Amino acid sequence: MTQLDIIERRDGDRLVVTVAGPVNSYTYGDFQEKMTKALAAHPLVVVDMEKVTTLSSAGIGVLMAALDDAEAEGKRIVVLRPSEIARLALESTGFSDRFPVAQNLRDI
Amino acid sequence: MTTSAGFPPRAEGKAAPGSPGERTVIPRRRRAEATRVLPARAEGVFAFETFIDDLPFASERERHRLKLAGSEIFDNLLHHAAPLDAAAMTVRVSRKGDRIFLAFYFKAAAFAPYAAACSDPELRDRDPLFDAVRRRWRGIGLKMCRNLAQSISFRAGETLDRIYLVFEPERP
Repeated sequence: MTQLDIIERRDGDRLVVTVAGPVNSYTYGDFQEKMTKALAAHPLVVVDMEKVTTLSSAGIGVLMAALDDAEAEGKRIVVLRPSEIARLALESTGFSDRFPVAQNLRDI
Repeated sequence: MTTSAGFPPRAEGKAAPGSPGERTVIPRRRRAEATRVLPARAEGVFAFETFIDDLPFASERERHRLKLAGSEIFDNLLHHAAPLDAAAMTVRVSRKGDRIFLAFYFKAAAFAPYAAACSDPELRDRDPLFDAVRRRWRGIGLKMCRNLAQSISFRAGETLDRIYLVFEPERP
């Protein structure tokens, strides 16, 4: 799969951003743009990563920057159901505990 | 031979059918290897990811580690080793027992400093830095590579340079 699909869905006050495909050095720009806009307009952004097929440092950098911005603005970002490779990518940074992760939308 | 000039041949066993840039060898007793020539441009990361996804001799977990670390190396080769002397680079994955090896062969000037940073043993304990001017984090990819692979080494050669990652079995 070479295409990154990003679908947004409003769920009350929160926005669920479903990311499917590779988040790599070639595709992360779309992810960055969507995250910036999502965070500007919603107090809670849930990033569903169940169908992410790879997650490079560029994609993790987008998540980290978004987390920083959210924290500064009193907002929240939660990673939902990360795929095994996305989870491994986050763990391999050595600070996966920075990323709030949930397995179920109801738990957020 | 499908690789670029100067690439050392290691054929033993039977080559599996595949795309023109691919060579998969499944030799005796848990020794296996596969090689692919990648386009040395940003879209080449997809060719690398597909190559890893299709490896017949690695588990899913091993393919994940290879894909994450290898795509960081590929990306950094494009950024830090540019201009590459050829239009393509070669990637080889091999398995010997429980160990997996990932090698990139290329020819470029001035990649040594980055490779040295990759193999810095203190990197595992160092946090990435936030570049406030460019508003981006730096050093995440290096740290990922260092945590995913047991060792990373770089060797400058007369005809080709090589960056080499070793993946040991994960401890439970």
